[in-house]
Amino acid sequence: MMLKSALPFLAIASSFAISANAKPAPNPPPYAGIYQPQGVDELGMWREDDEGERRLAASPLVIRDEKLTKYLKDVLCSAVGTDRCNSTRIYVVREPTFNATMSPNGTMRVFSGLLLRMRNEAELAAILGHEFGHFESRHSLSKFQATRRGTDMLAWGALLASMTPSYDSRRTYQSLEISVYGSLFRYSRDNEREADLLGLGYLNKSGLRPQAASEVWQNLIGEIEASATSRGLKKPRFDAVAFTASHPPEGERAGYLAALAEPTGADRDDGAVRYREALSGWLPVFLEDQIKLNDFGGSEYIIAKLSESGWTPHLWLARAELYRTRGHQRDLVNAVQFYSNAIALDSNLPDAYRGLGLSLIKTGDQTQGQAALSKYLALKPNADDAKMIALMLPKEPSQ
Amino acid sequence: MKSIVWSIALAIGIFACSIAPSFAQERSAIKQGFELAPNSGKRILVLRPSVRVGAQSTGGLFEPNADWTEKAKENIHRTLKEYQAKLGNATVVAPEAYGESAQIVEEHMALFASVSQAVIEYQFFVGNRLPTKKLDNKNDVFDWSLGTGVSELPGAKDADYALFIYNKDAYGSTGRKILQVMALLGPGVAVQSGEHVGYAGLVDLKTGDLLWLNADAAMGGDVRELEGSQKRVSQLLEDFPGSNIGKE
Amino acid sequence: MTINNYVRVAVLAVASLTLTVSPASAHKLREKGAEIDVADSNVMVTPARNWNRLDVKVGKRTETWTLDGEQLNDVTFFGGIEAGNPLVKEKSKKRDPLPKFTKSTLLIEVPELLEGTYRTYKQIGAFQLTSTEPQKFLGQDGVTFTYEYTDADGLTRKGEAYAAIISGKLYMATFDAPRLHYFARNIEDFRALASSARLQ
Repeated sequence: MMLKSALPFLAIASSFAISANAKPAPNPPPYAGIYQPQGVDELGMWREDDEGERRLAASPLVIRDEKLTKYLKDVLCSAVGTDRCNSTRIYVVREPTFNATMSPNGTMRVFSGLLLRMRNEAELAAILGHEFGHFESRHSLSKFQATRRGTDMLAWGALLASMTPSYDSRRTYQSLEISVYGSLFRYSRDNEREADLLGLGYLNKSGLRPQAASEVWQNLIGEIEASATSRGLKKPRFDAVAFTASHPPEGERAGYLAALAEPTGADRDDGAVRYREALSGWLPVFLEDQIKLNDFGGSEYIIAKLSESGWTPHLWLARAELYRTRGHQRDLVNAVQFYSNAIALDSNLPDAYRGLGLSLIKTGDQTQGQAALSKYLALKPNADDAKMIALMLPKEPSQ
Repeated sequence: MKSIVWSIALAIGIFACSIAPSFAQERSAIKQGFELAPNSGKRILVLRPSVRVGAQSTGGLFEPNADWTEKAKENIHRTLKEYQAKLGNATVVAPEAYGESAQIVEEHMALFASVSQAVIEYQFFVGNRLPTKKLDNKNDVFDWSLGTGVSELPGAKDADYALFIYNKDAYGSTGRKILQVMALLGPGVAVQSGEHVGYAGLVDLKTGDLLWLNADAAMGGDVRELEGSQKRVSQLLEDFPGSNIGKE
Repeated sequence: MTINNYVRVAVLAVASLTLTVSPASAHKLREKGAEIDVADSNVMVTPARNWNRLDVKVGKRTETWTLDGEQLNDVTFFGGIEAGNPLVKEKSKKRDPLPKFTKSTLLIEVPELLEGTYRTYKQIGAFQLTSTEPQKFLGQDGVTFTYEYTDADGLTRKGEAYAAIISGKLYMATFDAPRLHYFARNIEDFRALASSARLQ
């Protein structure tokens, strides 16, 4: 999968006709042994990749949680089989966008934004399996070779965006550190479909529910539309979501993935409970990363989707923070409600009392607000902002 | 689209720099009072050079090209080996770093690139100098540092100085949008293709002070070819203190 | 925060094609001991050493100073941001909106406003507020806070800020620098600037 590409979003009609009696995606080819690079091109790419991986491993943006990484690896293995998955290494990157990449030497980068949006192991396996499909089909190699043969290698001047890793408060993707964010091989649409099919093939053969693959896209469409609507935009920015920039249209994709999922697999486990448990420590963090991106509609959508498996205190808290941040008077009223809901489920959430207190004060309820803030301080006397909060409370009468 | 407009502006900017002689850019500087004689007995820690070569897509994205990078690395490493002998002093190759050690190296590399960039932008580049740097230039002051954290770099305790090398080449690629840009610029304008940036710096391993910096945002030589790499390394290490590189 | 230097360089260079360029750079010297206004506002500061004022703004009523380049030390003044406005200029009001300072924003929420601005603008996940304390700024009750974040150039930076809300407007001074060497090196210089700040 690629990061934002400058290629315009193409709406080319699919040459892939889906008939009513489409057969499920075929089983993947038998495993051919530990993968080794062959030929000069591939060797070169692996070595550049090894260098890239070395730098990735040393990046401050990598989340070094062995338990989480092992879990993700296990999900990948359950999708593509242990033989296959041992040729990969997974890195979790603290980056709030929905994306995952896999590079030629088996380095898989999973962004925290992706982990936030997956609702179960089946969906995660669909994405990881798709990435693995690119790897197994050596799409990056064939792409590289095709490019090298092509006429694209002429050096033109003129376009000289700064490529040094520059400090720029207005960050554009041009300044991305590639070793961290992944190579930007632009696969062809056929490659994408091939990877989809392979990924689905793995899922069909696995113990997980393959219908999840299609649901990933349906969810993403929903999120993008919600985001656009709340910004008063008519046309959703599909090209603003890294994952979709140069892919087949989501609707088409959701369509053929649904059609080619093994029908008898629909009753299988999708590992939702296991997934939520494994992510339970990180979900509040990733959700916070998302809320703070100022995408009201998109964030509301994600929270709503997550709540389908039940409202948790952290979900209410995240929703409350979202509303308090936007801060219109009616938002604050809602925020008060949401913080209260969080507290009702867990009376020991200091941040819920903090947000509740601030929201109450901002809607004019000084007394109740101060009471909530006092509770916050009682629960978290060493809070980073304890002294500031204390200033907002009524002064104790002096002894 | 905006980024393309800025890129055009930048392109024009670079033309101005390379066409008009009044915009001569300094490429290197030495810290006042620093001297390094050949065969001084000082040891130089050679850090793993950061070499990236790739294509620049239509959107300005840097696409690393492994084959090119591989060739360039081979060429640059080979050339560097030859030049090490010419550096005039003993060199120590930095040991491989893992885990936390590797993170320290990465952060220092990133800082080196940032400092070098600041030096070019704000002390070297005539049209953009910071007033305090202009005063420095008047007084022959070159005062930049990576900080004393450099003493924690793997291999630092066995050397006196560290040689940082950072090199990046982006060869422009075609696209309809570029054609449009070219049309705007008109015929007959000589343009340097792509972006070719190199910094080489010598750092004092006790203080972190930048003793020597060779920073060039317009390097020559095609590093995908051996001859080009030789030229590039020669440019990067030109006037390295204590050597006669570039003086031949 | 500062706008891409290369834009600045480019703009300068474009001008040079058609005009005779004066040797004077567009960046101005801010002299030690000379009180001066900043950020197109009534905020006055007195530098305790020579500083450079960068000629590009990140938004209305802002101004950025530096010693060695904003990538190494970046002091940004915000001279009275009005309710309804973001801290810095948005790339696109509709498509990429930034969080706004509002009539109801509390002083204690200002650190979150900065955090949201940085995260949204830079599209980063690695940002952390590390402390928030009451502190006088511009002679009024204000707040000081610290933070840390990793940007696209792979460098982790530390930040410290002072802020106050006066007559419904947000006044703030921030200092960002790489945590490796540079933050510690000039933090006292920044604090001297911030404590010299007053409203005319």
